Formats: sequence, C-alpha cells, structure tokens
Amino acid sequence: MILGRLTYGLLLVAVLSGLALAPFWSAARPLESLETLNGATPWGFWLRGVHALSSWGFLLGTLAHLVEVLWKKTDGRLSPGVWWRSVALLPVSILALLGGFLMRGDAEAQAGLAVWREVSASIPFAGRALAALLLGVPGSDLAPVALHHAGTFTLLAWLLTAEHGRALAPDLRSTVLAALGSFAAAGLLPVSLGPAVAPAGALLLGPWYLLGLQGALLHLPVVAGWLLPLLLLAVVGLVRHVDGRWRTTLLAVAAAWSAGYLAFTVRLLLAAR
Amino acid sequence: MSSRRDFLSGAWAAAGAGAAVAGAAVLGKALSGSPEEARTVELPEALLMKAERDGGLVHDGLLVRGPATAPVVLDLTCTHLRCRVAPVEGGGFSCPCHGSRYDAEGRPVSGPALKALARPHLMRAGSGFTARLS
Repeated sequence: MILGRLTYGLLLVAVLSGLALAPFWSAARPLESLETLNGATPWGFWLRGVHALSSWGFLLGTLAHLVEVLWKKTDGRLSPGVWWRSVALLPVSILALLGGFLMRGDAEAQAGLAVWREVSASIPFAGRALAALLLGVPGSDLAPVALHHAGTFTLLAWLLTAEHGRALAPDLRSTVLAALGSFAAAGLLPVSLGPAVAPAGALLLGPWYLLGLQGALLHLPVVAGWLLPLLLLAVVGLVRHVDGRWRTTLLAVAAAWSAGYLAFTVRLLLAAR
Repeated sequence: MSSRRDFLSGAWAAAGAGAAVAGAAVLGKALSGSPEEARTVELPEALLMKAERDGGLVHDGLLVRGPATAPVVLDLTCTHLRCRVAPVEGGGFSCPCHGSRYDAEGRPVSGPALKALARPHLMRAGSGFTARLS
C-alpha cells in the first residue's frame, strides 16, 4: 500500500531532521534555544518546519493507513500479535509527537506538561511513577521528555512500523517523495512558537491532535484523558477478531468515538475564540 | 525433549515476569514519592512590603497581598489539572488550560475546577514568612 510506504518515509524524514535539530535544543532553556534556532540560525526555521511537518504527516499517514486497512478489510492478513502492535503504533506516535510539543517550552507547552502529568498520574497504581518516569518530577527540566521523544517513543514507532511493513527501512522512492513533500510544506507553512507566559484570560490550545481530549476534559473527569483513548484502541484492536455484524458494530463505535472527538475539538476551538 | 524445553521456556517466562514486576515495583516506589513532596517558598520582608505597596504581586507561582505583617497568599495552581492560573482584569483568576474561573478570593466560579485555590501554610521566618505548599 503506497500510503503505508509514504508514511514510513515520513518517519525517516522526521528522525533525520530531529537528529539535525538536536544540537540546537537546550533542556534548561528550551524556548530560548528554539527562538534562537528560529530567528538567528540560517535555515533553522525551515529545518524545524521539516521536522514538525514530517512528524504530523507521519501521524496523519498512520491514521489514514489504519482507516484504509479497516475499509479494505486487510487487517486479517496480519497475525493477531502484529495487528495489536500495529494498533499500538497510534498512541506511540502521539506520545512521540506530544514530547516534541512539550519540548517547545512556551506557555502552551508548560500548560500541556502540567495537564499531561495529571492525566498520567490519574492512572491507578502506577500513574505517579509513570508520570515521573515519562515527564520527570515537577520542577525538573525537560531532559526526560526529550529522552522519551527522541529515544523511547521514536524507537518504538520505528520498530512497530518496521515489523508491520516487513522492512527495516522505507524504500528510496517513498523516502524521496516524503522528503520533497516535507521540504515544500516547511517552506509554505510556518511552525511558530508561542509566548513564554500566557496572556491573561486566554485559553491555551494543546497540540492539534489532542484538542478533542482537551475539549473532553472541560466536561469529563481527568481519567477520561487516558480512558477515552484506551477505549478507541480496544475497539479498533478487537475488529481484527470478529466478523459480520460484530465488526460493523465495532466500526460504528469507532466512528462515533471519532465524531465525538471532533465535536469536542470544535467545542474547544469555539471556547478559545 | 519437548517437555524439558517447555519447562525451560516456562521457567524463563516466569523469571522474566517476576523480574519485570519486581523492577516495576522498585521503580514505582523510587519515583512515586517525588511528585508529592511539599514545596516551600521564601517570602522576605522586602517582597511583602512591595506586595502591600503595589496591592499584590505574583512571586514563584503565588499571589501575595495584604499587610506585610499578616499577608494573604494564594497558590496560583489550578485545582482542576494543575495549570498555572493568571489574574484577570476586574479581579479573579482564569485558567488557560480548561477555562476555569475563580473569584478574587480564589473560589471557583465557573469551568471544571470545583475546589478553591489553595492557601499555603505560612510560617514566620525572621522578618518574613515561609509558605509551605503541599
């Protein structure tokens, strides 16, 4: 499937551009280091754009490929283990991207870090430890976030993609296409940073792919922050194991979940206006 | 032969699972204490005087106001999901994450937050105070 191969190519572009960005980022002064990269480093703004847009492309490609697989009913070609690990690619990708968002260190990222810490901490038994492990203890710098962004989650995303795609690396044509697309998009779409301090009375927005969750947390208790995504993953994962009416029902639940997520996103955007 | 292999596989799996659980327990114990630790903020006399003179000021995540000898301190951490709230025009506070609103005394007015902003415990420290946040 061309979409899957292109998505793999975008992952490679994201990883390589991330490696190129690493020397410019400082865990102790994240926002200042990125402002310097954006404003005072030749091609810095563009390089950051390539990294962000190829990562977003990877997430969108992963989502679109999942829908394509479910639509064409090709999920049965994968063994149950590979299927579940492929489904896990979605949260792993989102966690990798979320780490990148938090590494900005601006007011939106600081707010996102506080919320994500509370969401993680609300997981029974292991929540507090998990929050400390993934995000560091409150008051620490962003080094643990960077470690999991560039290391744990990127490595996991690569392993899961490689297993699913049965290739250690993307093919040359997909990589070239992904690179050219990312280069052009980075020239056209600016990826800006926010202010260091939130303007009084303003509602700060999280990353675009988590706006629905942020909107849900306006109305639902904090555990919704991990229970809602878990529900979707369970539903999509189970689709592989059933046929006929049950498959249709599960897909309808996933579609309803997505519609609800979109509604929460719109609700939040309206509240932020 | 196959029963011996099965036994060894099972033993390895059990040992691995046991090691994983033990590791997770040790790691969890080591890490879970840290976020709960209380934080203290020093409020020297000069800062309290300035807060009194200016009608209040924000210092290290705290709003300090009132007389320097008996200051009133509010923790500007939202009680919903612990974002930093900000003072808004006309008094009161607003949370930038989910839009919770508090009145000037820190009581929740609207939005998802249900509890009032915390008031840290103040202890005399020389001519100033130390605020203790839980």
